Amino acid sequence: MIDFARVQKELQECSREKDSSGIRVSPKSDNLARLTGIIPGPLGTPYEGGSFEIDITFADGYPFEPPKMKFVTKVWHPNISSQSGAICLDILKDQWSPALTLKTALLSVQALLSAPEPDDPQDAVVAQQYLREYQTFVGTARYWTESFAKASSLGVEEKVQRLVEMGFPDGLVRSTLEAVGGDENLALEKLLSS
Amino acid sequence: MASETEAPEISSLFERLLRHRDLYFFLPFILGVSNNSVSRENSENPDQETSQETTSQRERIILVNPFTQGMVVVEGDSNLEALLRGWANKDGQPPASKASIEAMPSVKIGESEDGECVVCLEEWKPGEVVKEMPCKHKFHDECIQKWLVIHGSCPVCRYKMPVDEEDMGKKRDEERSRREIWVSLSFDSSRRTGDSNQVPSTDNEIEG
Repeated sequence: MIDFARVQKELQECSREKDSSGIRVSPKSDNLARLTGIIPGPLGTPYEGGSFEIDITFADGYPFEPPKMKFVTKVWHPNISSQSGAICLDILKDQWSPALTLKTALLSVQALLSAPEPDDPQDAVVAQQYLREYQTFVGTARYWTESFAKASSLGVEEKVQRLVEMGFPDGLVRSTLEAVGGDENLALEKLLSS
Repeated sequence: MASETEAPEISSLFERLLRHRDLYFFLPFILGVSNNSVSRENSENPDQETSQETTSQRERIILVNPFTQGMVVVEGDSNLEALLRGWANKDGQPPASKASIEAMPSVKIGESEDGECVVCLEEWKPGEVVKEMPCKHKFHDECIQKWLVIHGSCPVCRYKMPVDEEDMGKKRDEERSRREIWVSLSFDSSRRTGDSNQVPSTDNEIEG
């Protein structure tokens, strides 16, 4: 049986501290067995500026079994599957302890974004790139953050429409937006200066 | 066929298993998990990683390397998922011994004592009687018991509780006799060698 009383308490804790931690957790439906967590990409990393959505499912034995977590947002990281979002993190596996909570587990996932462990990879391709071509890795990780983890990457069509209404050709607007990572103001500057 | 909820879990377990050792190069594809009577082969679709039938008593995993045409069949009595979980979690602290759980003293929470049971997150009530581990961390009796019978370590500081060596040894022997591995290898489709070894398995042998 999942200890729902504890899950309730954890949700309250998360919402109390969401301003300081930046971490948000909300139930997927009325059933508290499935939650959605959102962690901000740590500053000074290729994930900076991104919001990463994590799918959380409680196993029956929670809190005696770890919560199952995986990235919904696509992310380029040696310890996170670029295909499935599966996370390789010991505390979500054999190093789980019931003293850990949703908040501390999500903080650990956030810390993993800051400190990849390429020697214990989840995604072998990413890990190889991290070890052999670090600059390329940083570029790809940043590009993925821009493309998949930014709110700005969602409303692309609206931005395109606004810029087209200002009189710029559609194709140029799209390529410019892509070049600046979806930032509408930067795109406008670039369009005006070209 | 695996149901949607089970497949990713199983495949991530495999990912973890394979990642641990160089087995990865020998066994890049897991072709099928099936019961004893139904052997699944699907050489035209190597992308399909796992399939599973949970109801059967005896189950098989077939691992095929399409490059060397090598094949390994892992067969066991018990639930394979539990078996795999056992391998993947092999570093987890084993359960605490019964004696050590019973030996934990009961202590009374003081009138002005702050804090909570970190397992259920309930605040301490003054005068409440709780269990104290050798590392001095306190928990509700029921809460800590549920944990220690799974993992014999303190939830807060990971202090290791005594393990029941005799029980562990017995359990391991039981597991060993229940598990067996069939290794069938074939190289070259024109000249098949049916090399069928029956080896009692231990974790080391399986993980290389």
